[in-house]
Formats: sequence, structure tokens, C-alpha cells
Amino acid sequence: MNETPAKPVPVPDAQSAGYWDATAAHVLAIARCTHCATFVHPPGMVCPSCLSTDPRFAFVPVSGRGTVRSWTVLRDSFLPGFRDDVPFVLVDVELEEQAELRLIGRLVDGPDAPLHIGDRVTTVFDDLGPGVSVPAFALAVDA
Amino acid sequence: MSGAFTARSQVAIVGYAQSPIVRHADAPLGAIAVDTALRAIADAGLTKDQIDGFTTGSLLPSSGGHASVDGVSIVTANWLAEQLRVTPRFAAGFQGFGQVPGAVMLAVNALATGAADYVLVHRALHNPPRGRYHANPMTEARGAMQWTAPQGFFGPLAMIALPYNEYLQRYNASRGAMAAVLVEARANGARIPWSYWRDQPITADDYLDARVIADPIGVLDCDIPVDGVAAFVLTRADRARDLPNRPVYVAGYAQGTTHAPRLPMHWPLDDIMGAGFEVARRLEASSGLAMREIDVPQLYDGFSPFVYFWLESLGYCPVGEAHRFVQDGGIRTDGGLPVLSGGGALGNGRMHGIPQMLECYLQLSQRAGDRQLACASVGLACHSSPHYGGAVVYTAEPL
Repeated sequence: MNETPAKPVPVPDAQSAGYWDATAAHVLAIARCTHCATFVHPPGMVCPSCLSTDPRFAFVPVSGRGTVRSWTVLRDSFLPGFRDDVPFVLVDVELEEQAELRLIGRLVDGPDAPLHIGDRVTTVFDDLGPGVSVPAFALAVDA
Repeated sequence: MSGAFTARSQVAIVGYAQSPIVRHADAPLGAIAVDTALRAIADAGLTKDQIDGFTTGSLLPSSGGHASVDGVSIVTANWLAEQLRVTPRFAAGFQGFGQVPGAVMLAVNALATGAADYVLVHRALHNPPRGRYHANPMTEARGAMQWTAPQGFFGPLAMIALPYNEYLQRYNASRGAMAAVLVEARANGARIPWSYWRDQPITADDYLDARVIADPIGVLDCDIPVDGVAAFVLTRADRARDLPNRPVYVAGYAQGTTHAPRLPMHWPLDDIMGAGFEVARRLEASSGLAMREIDVPQLYDGFSPFVYFWLESLGYCPVGEAHRFVQDGGIRTDGGLPVLSGGGALGNGRMHGIPQMLECYLQLSQRAGDRQLACASVGLACHSSPHYGGAVVYTAEPL
């Protein structure tokens, strides 16, 4: 148990490939319904706004800016790949593009950074390996 | 106006059995389930060949990827019937969260419609002997998991930590207030003969000193994984009158539901509370009783913050006040509202909604022994989060 096990990497599928293609280029692009223009995360087979069963989600780049709705500090992880990362902070973020458009990711500022509900964050990226990056968040410098 | 519940007081609990609740049982889970089922049937004054309905919810509630093997790590309704060598007219499993009220709902519906005459409702819970309960060595995240696991958001502790911290921040509450919940749950669980925590009450300092895992969730905010089985026998009220135990009647029930598109295991506080207010409305419509008329409201506590969420959504204290309510003695079995008088999951072990249902049954049937409450005419047994779970209203007399 000396070597840290690998972290889980996302396996793109038909509904997510566009998202992970964008994050690999360090761009946050959120699925948007072609019919009603609603952002949907995560994208499923039915648009939750207009109920289209053929939403043809387009992955549209967003600002990456949002506000903190909640957070937790993980001092242990049920995913062995995060064993060396604890303690780390996860933030529940509402993106500014649309009410209740929420993502959860690591806060790179760490567990000692003072945090409040409503604090502003920007999106950054954690590179897990070649061509694989996942979104994370950093406190906005103007916060 | 919809919501009229035509089965009100038509179905009653007439017997029960509860196995010892242990970390790892010596016997296989399925063998304990058979023994417990037979004890419940005998307690009801029946024989196994009279049982023509079986319901349960069989989920193994773990993110650890443990295999679900019938009779070993789970026990389905059909498996139990087969082992008892009976051929029920009705056997069904509840698919959603809130498995215990869900299994009761299936049983009530089957009995009220005549699909069955005597239904055995059971719940079998297992703590796998190898590996950590929730740990998962996945190195690839597919399907829904791809949106959260690569970021390290995984498992039920992080799940409940987010809405709990949202609560603490929104209402300027301290984590330490929850000590009153744990002390109460463990004090009551210490008096339950089959509890894993029998004779093991804790102090507020014990709670505050315990390891924090996912702020603000600490190890004592979580129920402990166990092996255990409980079973109940339900029948129609007209048949119940001929049986040895005092019947406890089902007055109504409700499920909590939500439809907000969310990441897996993302449970924002407003989703939980919005559904909780609706559960309260549905319970009152179904039972014809107001939440204030319930004298044994057993709230679900598999994670301690659920006690706050249920207290507030059912109207037992104002929204944002539960952390003060519990500190002011509001949930003390002696003098307050006995929401954890049966010990709950925190005081018994991870038996899901069984401690809540069992306490309603024992108190309303006057079978609680030296724990008998003076006022026990209407009970409520909640399970899971308000937005995925459910609750059943029980009465000592038919309405």
C-alpha cells in the first residue's frame, strides 16, 4: 500500500464526449439544449426543461465564474486515489450563466482558505493525465 | 382534491421480531432472515403457511461496490418466501430509497386490495466482512459517476456534508449543537436489548472529540454498518382483531420526491426541505391527522442532520431553529418530543428505517416494556432524506 492507487478518470460516452473534449483543452463547456437553450448539467437523454427526447445538446463555453453554495473538507476519501490529497475541499458552485446550474469540484485554495456561502470562484483545471483534465475551482481574486 | 387514502385504518401490524444487531453476525444473513421471519410469524399467532404476501426493500446501501448476492448480502422478498417453502400470492421489492416505509406501502396496498391476507415485511441489512464499507477502488468513472468521482466527490458522507454545511452557514449554527442529538439517540439505544450500542451511552464531549471525516460530518454523525434483520406481520383490521397482540393501524403514508436535475448524490438543502414540506402535506392528507397530533414522531437519523431536516420540514420547530430546539431539550424523550425514543439508526446501528417503525409499533401496541411512553396514540415512522424517502402514520386505535 505504498504506491497511491490511480484516481478514477472519466470515461467519455455519447452524452459526455463534448464536455470532456472541452475540458481537455481547459475550457468549461456546458451542455445546452438545441431546442430551448437551457443549460443542463449533467446532460441526460431528455431535456429537463422542454422535455425534448432529442435535445442535441451543444457544448457551449461558459465563463467558469460562479458562487459557492456549500462546501466540505474531505479528511478521508472512499476513493483510494485521493489518499494523498486529503484534506481537500470540495465546493458546490452555482455558475453565473443560469440559476441552479451547479457543479461540484475541488477548491484549489486548500482547507485553510476562509470560505463563505456566496464567495465568488473561477474555474481552473486539474490535469489527471494526457488529454484528461477535470474542472476545479479557485477563489476569485476580486472576492 | 386528490389524496384521499381509502385504506386508512384498514391494515394493521400484528407481530414483529428483531434480530440482535451486530457488526458481523456468525450466521449468514439469509439464515438470520429466515429465523427472524419465523419468530415474527409466531409472534403474530400465525403459521408460515398463512403468509401469502412478502415485501421488502433489499438494497445494500453502500458505495463500496460490494456484490449483492441474495441470501448473503441482501435478502429479497422472493428469496425469503422460497426458503420458507411457501408460495405467496404477492411478493414485491420496493425500488426506491425509503425502503422500510416503501415495503410497508406495498404491503398495505396488497392487503387493502385483497391481493394478500397476511404480509410479512422484512428488512435485512449487511455489513460486508471484507474491505471498507464505502471504499471503492474504481480507476475509471463511467456513466453518472464520471461527473463527480474524478473530482473526488464520492460516497454518502460528502453527499450529506454539503447540505449540512449549507444549513450551518445559512442559520449560523454550530456543529457542536448536534451533540444533543447524538446523546439522545445513544441514551435511548443503550436501553434497547438488541441494539449494537446497548449499554453504551455517550456524552457531548465524546461526540465533540470524535474524528471529523467530511466537515462538518464526523464519524459519530453516521450510523454504524451492521448485520441485522427485522420482520413484521401485517394484515387487514378485521383479521387483526382475532390475533393475540394489540393491532397498530396504518393511518396513512407519503413518499418524498424531487425532480431537480442534479449531479449524482448532490443533495442541495433546498431540494431536501422543499420535498419535506410536501411530505408533511401529503401525510396530513393521507392520514387526516395533523403533524402536531403525533405523539411518537420517529424521525430518520441515518446521518444526524436528517433529524434537523425532518424536525423543520414536519413543522416541529421553525425552519432554521432545529439546532436550537435540540439544545433546549426539544427532543428529550423525558419532557420533549420523543423523536428518537427508539434510539434511531444512530442508537441501534444501520437498520435503515426499522428502529423508527419498530418504536412506533412497540409504543402504540403497549409492548415497549420499561420504555413505554405515557402518551403513545399516534406514531410516525420516517426513513431516508425527506426528498427521497417516505413516512408512515400509525395509530393505536382505528380512525
